[in-house]
Amino acid sequence: MTARVRALLRLAALQASWTYERMQGIGIAVAMEPLLQPLDNAPERGRAARARSVQYFNAHPFLAGAAVGALAKAELDQEPGERILRLRTALSGPLGALGDQLFWAGIVPATMGLALAAMALGGGLRALALCVAGYNLVRVAVTAWGLNIGLQHGIKVAHAISESWLPRSAPRAGDVAAVIVGAAVPLVAAWLLRGAGQPLRATVLVVAGAAALGAITIRRPLSAPTLTLGAAALTLLWRWSTA
Amino acid sequence: MSELPVPALLAWATLVGLDLVSVLQGLFNRPLVAGAVTGAILGDPEAGIRIGAALELFELDVLPVGASRYPDYGAATVAAVVFGAHQPWVVALGPAVLLGLVLAHLGSWSIVMHRRVTAWALRRTTSALDRGERGAAVRVHLAGLLADVVRSGVLAIVGIGLAIQLGGPARLDLGTARVLTLVVIGGGFVAVIGGALRRAGTLRRITWFAGGMAMGVLALALR
Repeated sequence: MTARVRALLRLAALQASWTYERMQGIGIAVAMEPLLQPLDNAPERGRAARARSVQYFNAHPFLAGAAVGALAKAELDQEPGERILRLRTALSGPLGALGDQLFWAGIVPATMGLALAAMALGGGLRALALCVAGYNLVRVAVTAWGLNIGLQHGIKVAHAISESWLPRSAPRAGDVAAVIVGAAVPLVAAWLLRGAGQPLRATVLVVAGAAALGAITIRRPLSAPTLTLGAAALTLLWRWSTA
Repeated sequence: MSELPVPALLAWATLVGLDLVSVLQGLFNRPLVAGAVTGAILGDPEAGIRIGAALELFELDVLPVGASRYPDYGAATVAAVVFGAHQPWVVALGPAVLLGLVLAHLGSWSIVMHRRVTAWALRRTTSALDRGERGAAVRVHLAGLLADVVRSGVLAIVGIGLAIQLGGPARLDLGTARVLTLVVIGGGFVAVIGGALRRAGTLRRITWFAGGMAMGVLALALR
């Protein structure tokens, strides 16, 4: 197994050692380790590289491969230590922001919205498996792309990323997710409420009421789970008092 | 309840717990996926899909960003499906989802505990890490991974144990169960619509969301 594949596999468990002190720092070091093997012939340089690799780092976990690749190449190219630490700090914010836009606000809700709509339309387990498989293909491909672009460009990785598809696609992913989740809402409402023996009128009422409450609670005076648990407690009290 | 495949359920609930943060993050922790597989394990995939879908509406409002604290819906969904499977689903959905919501928020506390345990292992290894000692980072990483296996396993045992102990929602009368079902479906849509509006940030994104809803209504009308 090549060092690159080993690094990619280790990136799958990047956040196992996440802490408030160093955040993903230790995970980054573990993923970099196979790539730093050529430094075994220069023990001093290897020790210094390993000590730098465990410092604080935080980015989106699926794009952290770009940092792993770039930092490893910078170490192998014998860039000055200060410069490598600056690169580490410089990559953290942008890789976090782009990844959050692309995955957490885009691909993840889009995939789950699609899966929910498929369930409402009777797609069943096969449709769900397709959604999960498709998502994981994209997730692994993006991580591998990040690792490769990092290893290819080293210290100049930020420029390479800014010229790539990523900054253009990340904001659009959220638009796609908004459309898909929006389409899923009435489909899932009708599916769940029809199953609960409620007529179409109830679907319209529940979605309209939820939209109004969702808009009212937009600044989160109360979270939806808290509202739900509170309403359920009141329901139980009312039923028991009238029993 | 006596014929439950408990080892398979515990193994699955532990795996979905690991998928939340530590390993892969491949959607296996999402309520819809965790619920559907649990339903399949229990021989009632329909219950798993419906309970998972209702909890998924709440999860869609969660942004698992960096140091934020968020609920763990994985093991909670497995427990909710164990609680609600093989029951008339109009009776089961409300109570099962409520159980899932409570357990998911218990899970959020367990994530903080996991991070503290990993930080303890980190502090014990700090000097070796800063000296660049070979293998030091891997030791901390494995300690964190092991701590998450324990965290997920404990959540699985507590959740599934509680679901078995409660013995299903059959004790509720039909009227109460139906109202609870409406409450959780309504709550789920408050979460998903409120979350979409909050995340949209711009009028343009809200327009995309409204356009999507119109497409959904059209698809309903055409069915």
